[in-house]
Amino acid sequence: MKCAETTVIEERREEASAPARKPQAEPNKGVITLPMGLLGFEQVKHYTLLGSAEEAPFLWLQMVEDPSLAFLVISPSVVVNSYEPEISDEEVKFLELADAKDALIFNIVTVHANGDATVNLKGPIVVNRRTLIGKQVVPLNAARYELHHPVAANSSN
Amino acid sequence: MLVLARKLNQQIVIGDDIYVKVVRMEGDVVKLGIQAPISVPVHRQEVYDEIQKSNKAALTSGPRSIPKLPDKNSRR
Repeated sequence: MKCAETTVIEERREEASAPARKPQAEPNKGVITLPMGLLGFEQVKHYTLLGSAEEAPFLWLQMVEDPSLAFLVISPSVVVNSYEPEISDEEVKFLELADAKDALIFNIVTVHANGDATVNLKGPIVVNRRTLIGKQVVPLNAARYELHHPVAANSSN
Repeated sequence: MLVLARKLNQQIVIGDDIYVKVVRMEGDVVKLGIQAPISVPVHRQEVYDEIQKSNKAALTSGPRSIPKLPDKNSRR
């Protein structure tokens, strides 16, 4: 299945220190489950996706079990013009994707020691918008995409 | 891990429909031909390893700051 990234779900939440605007009715609402975790973090299965107007288009994928740990993520459409990771049939089945539009895709951003930011286009995180079940996928066409695609550089472009 | 010795052109079968064949041996490099259904991803181990490394480098603990994006998205 070829997934063209369209929109990103943003959850606007206050920082932990500020009072919450409204209480959450369901504690598990909006929790993304990665049954296989992330590569290198296979044991961690539950994340929340947090964002704010100031930080957009970046979002934080924060570990539920340890909210001090998070990954900076971004929708690939912000960084590249056409991103079409090919997801294997097995993974489409695993994620129960009926349609390419079911897939919410975002990619992990690394901020390097020198301040440069790169995004991993080789291993996108693909989440089913309906079930909020996701997986870090190595797409069939992974060779096309970079592990460290530049997002922003300290120097010009 | 199952270890099998194969000579050039010999093949192994995994499950019902995955075949791995030694197609060439060049010095210390073994070229493998892999036949698998399109539904089964086949990747060099290194791809997984490098993504793992990248994930680990990306994990943020402590203060969170956002990189600046060039032009496209300005803070209002």
